[in-house]
This record gives sequence, C-alpha cells and structure tokens, in this order.
Amino acid sequence: MEAFNWGLIAPILVIQGILIIVAMIDLIRTDYTNGPKWLWVLIIIFVSTLGPILYFVLGRRQR
Amino acid sequence: MTLFKKELLENWRNKKWIWVPLVIILLSIMDPITSYYLPQIIDSVGGLPEGSTLEMPEFAPPEVIMMSLSQLSSLGVLVLVLMSMGTIAGERKSGVTELILVKPVAYRNYITAKWVSLLMLVWISLFLGLLTSWYYINLLFGDLSFVELLQITFFYGLWLTLVVSLSIFYNALIKTPGLVAFLTILTIMVMSLINQVFNHVLEWFPNNLSSYILDMLMTDQLSTDLIATACVTMILSIALVVASIYTFRVKD
Amino acid sequence: MAFLTVQDLTKKYKNKTAVNNVSFEFKSGQCIALIGPNGAGKTTILRTLAGLLKPTTGSIEFANEKGNSDIRKFIGYLPQYPVFHYWMTGREFLVYSGELALLPKSEAKKRAESLLEKIGISKEARDERISRYSGGMKQRLGIAQAIIHKPKLLILDEPVSSLDPIGRREVLQLMEELKQEMSILFSTHILTDADEISDELLLLRQGEIVESGSMEELRIKYQTAKIEIEFERDIEAFAKKINDLPEVTASNIERNTLHVTASDIQLARQRILEAASNENWPLTSFNINRASLEDMFMKVVKD
Repeated sequence: MEAFNWGLIAPILVIQGILIIVAMIDLIRTDYTNGPKWLWVLIIIFVSTLGPILYFVLGRRQR
Repeated sequence: MTLFKKELLENWRNKKWIWVPLVIILLSIMDPITSYYLPQIIDSVGGLPEGSTLEMPEFAPPEVIMMSLSQLSSLGVLVLVLMSMGTIAGERKSGVTELILVKPVAYRNYITAKWVSLLMLVWISLFLGLLTSWYYINLLFGDLSFVELLQITFFYGLWLTLVVSLSIFYNALIKTPGLVAFLTILTIMVMSLINQVFNHVLEWFPNNLSSYILDMLMTDQLSTDLIATACVTMILSIALVVASIYTFRVKD
Repeated sequence: MAFLTVQDLTKKYKNKTAVNNVSFEFKSGQCIALIGPNGAGKTTILRTLAGLLKPTTGSIEFANEKGNSDIRKFIGYLPQYPVFHYWMTGREFLVYSGELALLPKSEAKKRAESLLEKIGISKEARDERISRYSGGMKQRLGIAQAIIHKPKLLILDEPVSSLDPIGRREVLQLMEELKQEMSILFSTHILTDADEISDELLLLRQGEIVESGSMEELRIKYQTAKIEIEFERDIEAFAKKINDLPEVTASNIERNTLHVTASDIQLARQRILEAASNENWPLTSFNINRASLEDMFMKVVKD
C-alpha cells in the first residue's frame, strides 16, 4: 500500500474530525436537543461523517 | 439590514457557517479521491477475479469535476434543503415572528434577508468545495484552469440558488419544516422528471445546467444554451422569491 | 379626543365569526381592559390591532395618521406566549427589537440598557442566553421589547395570567408605571387584575362587546343591592313581616341571616328600619351589600 499518499487523505480525516468536535461542543453547550443527549453523543462519534450532519440538521432544536 | 445581520449571527451561532462549508468540501472531494485510488481500493478488498484485467479508465479533469457536481446535486442538495427547511417555517411555528412582524418590518426585507444570507452561505461553501476539488484534480488528474473553476462555480451556483429559492418559497407557504423539505425535494424530483420527458422541447430547463457546463468544459466555449439556461434559472429564482414575499404577505 | 377609533371591526374565519362588529374608542393615556371568557375573541382583537391579522371588515384608525402609514410604528405588542430567539442574550434581543423598530443602533443600545434596569434583569443575566431565563423574566423581557420604541399604544395579551403571584405583582406594578407614559390595552380573564389598573372595561362575549364602561359606571349599573339582616331570634316571623312590605321583591333565610332584595333599596331600608325601631326588633346586624364585580361579570357573560 505504499502508493497510498496519506497527505492526500489527511484533509478528509481532518474535516471529519472538525465536524465531530464542533458537533460535540455544540451538543455540550446547548440546553435542549431533540431526543436524549447521550444518544447524540453516540451518533456523532460513531456514525462517520453522517453523524455530525444528522445532529446539526435534526438534533438541534429549531427555535 | 438589521434582519440580515441577525441571520448571519444566527447562522454563526448555530454553527452553520462551520458545518455547511465542511460538508460541501467533503462531498466535493470524495469522488475525485476515491476514483484516483480505485485500483488500490479494488486491490485491498481482494483484487479482481482470476483472469480478468481491469481496464482503468483515464479520467479527464472535466469528468472528475462533474463527479463533484453530481455528488453536490444529490447529497449536497439534500443537505441544503434540510439546512434551510426551518428558516422561516420554524420561526413561524415557534411564534417568534409574532414579535418580529409587529415591528415596522417590511415583509420584503424579512424574506430577502433570509434568502440573501442563505445564498451567501451556499455560494461560499460551493466555492470552497469546488476549490478543494480543483486542487485535487490538478494534483491527481491534470490541468483544469482557474477560470474554468470560476465558470463552473458561477453556473452551478445558479442551480443551487434555485434550490434555495424553492426552499424559501415553501418556507413562506407552510409552517412545518419537515413538509417544507419534503415538498422542495419533491419539486426538484418532478422537475428532473419533466426534464427527462420533455427534453427535446425544454432546452433551457434549469436541470440542464450541469450538462451544459460539461459541454462548456469539453468545447472550451460558452454556448448560448448555457447562457440562456442560466438566465432562465435566475429569473425563476427571482420569481420564486417575489412569490414568497407575496404569499407571506397575504396570510390572514 | 379619541386617538384610536375602532369601527365595526369584524373578523371571520372560514366557518366562524371570531369578532363581530366591535367598535370602541381610545382616549390618549387610557388603560382599557378586555375581559371575557376564553374564546370570546380577545386575542383576535388584539392581534388585529397589532397588525398581525387583517380585519374582514371594519376599520382601525389612529388620529393624525394618514390612511396608509405603517401603524406598527406606534404599537408595542406582547403576545400571550411570547417566543424569543433563545440563542440571543436578553440585551441582544432588546437591541435587535429596537433596531427593527427603526431606532438608530446607539439609541437602541441606550434604551435596551435602561429598560433592562427598569424591568429588573440583573447585570449577569443580561448577557445570558434567553433560553436560561425564568418565566417571569421572559414576560418582563417581553414587555421591554414591546416598549423599546416608546409606542403610543401598548397591547398586552393576558400579561399576567401565566405568572406566579410574585411575577404577577411585578408585572402589574410595571404596567402601573407605564400607564403614565402610554395608553395600554390588555386582555385578561381575571377581573381583579382589570379592576386594579384599568380605567375602562370592555366585556366581551362570543366576539361581541356586551358591556363597557368605567368600573364605577358598571358597578352602579349592575348594583342589585341586597339587604342582609341578622336577628337574635324568631327570624321566621320577622321574615314574614318584611316580605309583606311592598318594596321587597324576595327574601330568603340562610342560617341566621335574612337576605332581602328590593325594587327600591332606599325605601326598603327606610321601612325596615322604621318597623324595627317602632316594634323593637332584636336586630344584631343590618347590612347593605353591593353586588361584587364578580357577580356582575358572571351576569353579563353567562346569560
């Protein structure tokens, strides 16, 4: 697998990382979510890429 | 202006200014990178069956950027629709609009502040996404000029503008965010169906933007079809916003 | 002189009439209470005045204003359940409201600051997100956003009904102060609140004004005075005598007390007291009881 250039892949991982971190920070600071917080923690961390997006779209309470 | 600044602040506080660009970037570069590594990926999952040889297609840069656009047209549009579904509907459902609309606020300003702030977010995200995609393409597949990148961004941005305008239109019409998203997606799907059925008559239908963009990249010139389609898309978007203002005003 | 005239206001929804031919006048500096049971059309009237609903027919006119100017400039409105942008801080929301009401930014900031002081939101709470505020704080913030642009007319929909006694007290006091600066129109289903601060009452039933006037006028009009008499003994015998008086329309005994209603309360009082002194009745108490506002409210609204 020496052909794999990690420098090319790294940005994707970094972006995914940022999404997870931002989603987590938002989740911790917010007072209300749709559904239990612990569930969102699991979704954000373990559902790759889609997890944080799901949280931002559906988890934050629209007010 | 006050309303517009509030929208920007809100989209910053609810992190839309962070996650939307990131997601658009991810979607834009996913396909270029996976197609580049396709041989290795096939290898790593066990290789090809004995005896068959894989004819790896050589992707031309325009084809690769079109992959980015097709990702954006499916998942990207979905994300934009979900992201914008509550911008007015949610405020009306919750009741904040009661406090806003008793102030001497023009309905026109209320709608356009939403529209412009969303467009700003969408266009900047799109530009960042295509910029990274362009960077990878130049690195991995070959030359695509910066001017071409700008042209693609401009014409494809018009398509996303139409999507946002549709969403605003349903937002002004309906109070339920979920329904707004559903109807927006449905409309886009119906439009693509109409486009397929009546393709020969509707040459300047907005859904054709992508294929004209590809033509432009292949032939290196702006076709009248592309420009006309762009104009139609713009006019439709503006018409939708005007209609939104009108429907919003006549409520009750 | 009336500064606001509401003429034949009617609001119809598909299958029902929420407000029917309501007319009233508002004098500058007045405080008017709309009273009525739930569903009487109070909220509809207030929302129409605030410009959130279009009247089906009828007109709302401000004195000195030409027909098509935006009356929202002169109006402050607080809905029954105000909803804010909860991601904003209290201070931000007030400045935002002020700017929406066309105050210049510096002016909006100054007004916000002084109002936060006035409604008693602590220095720390001013920069906290509204989602952390208590019910009373939100209600007071709601009033503050309604008066940020110094409106001529403040419209409050059930401003105190969702509050606990302390919160109620605070808001009523605030309204008392605001009465000096602007006209207030508010709705309530609690009579004592209306009694406490309003100059005039409009009683509403099924979308129509069934009665209106100042508290005193209404009291006099609906005064069905009763005389309550207590005797040491022989209450039945005296009851019979009193019942024979021509002015007395009815009497009944409840425990030791005789309740008497009369067509002419003054004359009845005179006759009874004469008889009592001539025949030396064993009176222990003699009382003229005015109908409470509550009775009047029930009478107007229920029948």
